[in-house]
Amino acid sequence: MTPKTLRPARRSAGLLPYLLIAPALGLLAATLVIPIVSAVDISLHDIRVIGAAGPFSGADNYLRVLADPTFWAALGTSAVWVVGNALVQTLLAVIAALVLDQRFPGVRIARVWIILTWIVPTVVIVIIWRWLLSPSGGLVNPLLIQLGLIDRPVGFFASGPMAMTSLILINSWRWFPFVAVMLLAALQRIPADVYEAAAVDGANPLQRFFAITWPLLKPTLLVLTVMGTLLSFNVFDVIWLLTAGGPAGATRTLPVLIYETAFKAYRMGDAAAMSVIASLLMIGLAVMLLETLAPKEKRS
Amino acid sequence: MKRGLAGTAALLLGLLVLALVVLFPMWAVLSSSIKLPREIIHRIPTYFPKSFTLQHYQKLLATSDFPAYFGNSLVVALLSAAITVALATLAGYAFFRLEFRGRELIYRMVMVAYAFPSIVILIPIYLMFAKLGLIDTRTALVIVNVTFALPFSIWMMRTFFAALPHELEEAAAIDGASLFETARYVLVPLLGPGMASIAVFAFVSSWTEYLFASVLILSDAKRTIPVGLSGIIGQYQIDWGLLLAGASLSILPVVVFFAFVGRFFVSGLTEGAVK
Repeated sequence: MTPKTLRPARRSAGLLPYLLIAPALGLLAATLVIPIVSAVDISLHDIRVIGAAGPFSGADNYLRVLADPTFWAALGTSAVWVVGNALVQTLLAVIAALVLDQRFPGVRIARVWIILTWIVPTVVIVIIWRWLLSPSGGLVNPLLIQLGLIDRPVGFFASGPMAMTSLILINSWRWFPFVAVMLLAALQRIPADVYEAAAVDGANPLQRFFAITWPLLKPTLLVLTVMGTLLSFNVFDVIWLLTAGGPAGATRTLPVLIYETAFKAYRMGDAAAMSVIASLLMIGLAVMLLETLAPKEKRS
Repeated sequence: MKRGLAGTAALLLGLLVLALVVLFPMWAVLSSSIKLPREIIHRIPTYFPKSFTLQHYQKLLATSDFPAYFGNSLVVALLSAAITVALATLAGYAFFRLEFRGRELIYRMVMVAYAFPSIVILIPIYLMFAKLGLIDTRTALVIVNVTFALPFSIWMMRTFFAALPHELEEAAAIDGASLFETARYVLVPLLGPGMASIAVFAFVSSWTEYLFASVLILSDAKRTIPVGLSGIIGQYQIDWGLLLAGASLSILPVVVFFAFVGRFFVSGLTEGAVK
């Protein structure tokens, strides 16, 4: 994903490259750049009716948003959401990648179909888990009772912490195979003789993992953490369709609050101000993660 | 390297857990969609159906708008995939094959697009599309889906261009092939896997997109599956049989599509990740 990977091209081609990138750039300009500029513009106006221009209100929207405890609560919820997803997904993905890195019959099929949970529409994921986790008729409660882990059916979305945990697990279930597939590539680049040398020197599997695998996985994990942070911060549909931010706002992340503010309360200006703040935070976070965690690479 | 007994046991355990985690929920949905209603909600769940019925599917296809949602999703996803492939391949050729001023800067800017939460552009896009008369059109969804798939697709294209030796084009040029002929007979066939993997990515992104589809589409007849199905969930009495049948039918096309070109997508994803 780094620009250093652009390899030097052979010939200068005049106008042709600009003509080739023009359609893609034109579309992105119209659907990303203009809307982002316009989000900033909307955030500086007092817009209440959709389509009608509101009066210029300067930083009013920002001040109101920053003084609103709901905004700060949503920001905190988002932080829990992003960190929780990063931890669970990384853990599951590392395990899955280690398994898929082995040789066994059917491994090629497994490496492709592991990603099944990612190609399923979110709404289907919502249906699957609402049904599996439902206190009446769902399969998970009876299973846990049979295994002796719980005594009576659990309400997986009943309390704030329970709802948040369930959501993080469900979203991680959806995304961990995607991360695993990308980690797998990094694993496969590690030459087998490094492991063999370590094994000859008497390193046990655990020592081999922490001395060889983990350090070599770290650069890929970094890129994936940054990507994953941005992607999971963005997640709206799973949360909205499963809990709608509830119970009592416990799972109301920033995107959910922005959506409610814009399309339920029709306070477009406030919603735009929140989304501008969110973008700045995300860009700042991405830059910070890359700067502080990235190994210093020489540029080619 | 040889695996010991403990290693084999660990591998088997890992595989079993992975298979259960990924496949069990899918199996539960598929197998329950053909159960009679009383078996679906029975207090003691069955892991293999004891009854068989297609009544949920009949009800879904005959009494709900699901066929329309399905058609809309298919049209939007196919168009989004086709346009994304075209734009990303053209841009990829310029970025990874040609030298031009501002190349690195423009490439970086395209990648930065990912840092912006999509919710930021939801409100402006809604207002802009309202002005352009694009609200409640499937065109609006295609535009949005291509936008979201494009930066990642261009990034994935890099691997596939890197695998093509420059000599191929040079040889074609020496043989007197025009740029168009080189593209048509040399590049496109060799870039096939790359284009297929972008097509999968764009198709899946579009097939699963909910947020913009819920805001930009107003009439029931134009809804896509994610929004349409969520409407069925929201109805007062949850009809699980109906929803499970809908869920099964929504998984089907992506699975079929993935069966043909999924391996290209996974290889595009893995090879891109390490470079």
